[in-house]
Amino acid sequence: MRLRVALLLVLVCSPAGAADCPLDLGHGTGIVIYSDRYMLALRPDPMRIEVGQPFGLIMNVCTKGGEPADLVRVDATMHEHKHGMNYAPTVQGGGNGRYRVEGLLFHMPGSWEVAFDVRPLGQAGGEIQRLTHDFVLK
Amino acid sequence: MRRAALLFAMLLTGGLARAETSLDWTPEEVSAVSAHGPWPPSAVSDPSNRASGDAAAIALGRHLFDEPRLSGSRQMSCGGCHQSGREWRDGRARAVGLVELDRRTPSLWNVGYQHWFGWDGAADSLWMQSLRPILDPKEMASSARAVATLLREDKGLACGYERAFGEKPGDDDEKLLVDAAKALAAFQQTLITPRTSFDAFRDALVAGDRAGMRRYPASAQRGLKLFIGRGSCATCHFGPLFSNGEFGDTGVAFFVRPGEVDSGRHGGIARLKASPFNRLGRHSDDASGGSATRTRHVEAQHRNFGEFRVPGLRQVGRTGPYMHDGSLATLEDVVKHYSTVSPDRLHSDGTPLVRPLALSEPESADLVAFLRTLDAETPKLAPAPPLCP
Repeated sequence: MRLRVALLLVLVCSPAGAADCPLDLGHGTGIVIYSDRYMLALRPDPMRIEVGQPFGLIMNVCTKGGEPADLVRVDATMHEHKHGMNYAPTVQGGGNGRYRVEGLLFHMPGSWEVAFDVRPLGQAGGEIQRLTHDFVLK
Repeated sequence: MRRAALLFAMLLTGGLARAETSLDWTPEEVSAVSAHGPWPPSAVSDPSNRASGDAAAIALGRHLFDEPRLSGSRQMSCGGCHQSGREWRDGRARAVGLVELDRRTPSLWNVGYQHWFGWDGAADSLWMQSLRPILDPKEMASSARAVATLLREDKGLACGYERAFGEKPGDDDEKLLVDAAKALAAFQQTLITPRTSFDAFRDALVAGDRAGMRRYPASAQRGLKLFIGRGSCATCHFGPLFSNGEFGDTGVAFFVRPGEVDSGRHGGIARLKASPFNRLGRHSDDASGGSATRTRHVEAQHRNFGEFRVPGLRQVGRTGPYMHDGSLATLEDVVKHYSTVSPDRLHSDGTPLVRPLALSEPESADLVAFLRTLDAETPKLAPAPPLCP
């Protein structure tokens, strides 16, 4: 039931930290995931994800160069059972790389892969890259 | 010699045999069992219902629950199907309103803790759900006008309404109908089952109290291990309520009669979104909209077809028949169903959530023994308090 993911201290000494898209989510904590092009900082809200309870994500989405990026879509899948959520999350915010994702709900214990589709800021037809993070609920 | 004889006699009569053994539990199993408590949870509160938790509204709801004048025929009440002396259900395979319906009457125990209501989740609040049978032409077949007129013209109910809502019944028929449903919901939120022998075991297990654990029958412990382990039952029957609050396809036949299917959750979402009484509508008392997150984000998907709400399992041994259509008469039948269900019917392309468990007879008996420890003796319902003493 409880999210047992160690929340990593966000190190703001990366190149992103020096630009307009800091990865610090305000409390000095968060989960940081990255690809060759993007860095994402995210923090569940509430912090503890419970089975069957809605939650949101507070996110900063940046390029590795420290520029804000577009968060296009967020979704989650239980690969073990090959099903997703029963809910369609919405992404709010943007422009400065800061987002709030609403309407996530993990309805079963187990491993959920959350996928984040990201593209360069303001490029509606730009190439989308998918970053993922696994949450394990017991 | 006498002590030895006494010991022998105790063994024969069960004086010592009553002390059950405690199985070994891994940390993962302790964690899984722990998730089914503690019980009871904190009190129910629904931000969309300003009457939730209010004593005067609960009293009004209690009176309305057994009020036949809420029905078009003035002969049918909520309590006619959800009978207090029968675990708040009717015991029939399929509910009977003005005609026989396609689904069974669910028990109302712990209903206030749910997030979706009805077998298809077509209601997102207990007050919205309470409206449905009142208005359904196959059930109570009443109307907003009839309910509002009753609240305005019956002196006792009008007084009870004023105490509950702080104003006399007004001219807005739909508002009065919804308020009646909110009072009904406030009453139903009080129907919470007592603690069970499972809860005592769960607490002892979490606390490492071996003596407490030994009071729980060994067969129930084995059944619990199956429930959280090989059976994967706890994947859906999760948490203190033994339900994750969502929906699943359990392999029950789709067809309710030749050529006609029950679409379950798929149709429920469509009805939810089309209704003016959902949490996004004008009748919700939650100005923040925070309690409408599920409603705002729920999305119909193809796999919802034939899915039905995962019922909680507290009082399960006393609330048969089972499944949404009442098609299985006993707990033993339910365990047999999950032991032999056809994977072809379920169409899963992943690790199936429901699959034939192929339980042996002793394993099936253990699983039933565990499920029966989720039953509690419930207190007799006290007489309804007067509306305006």
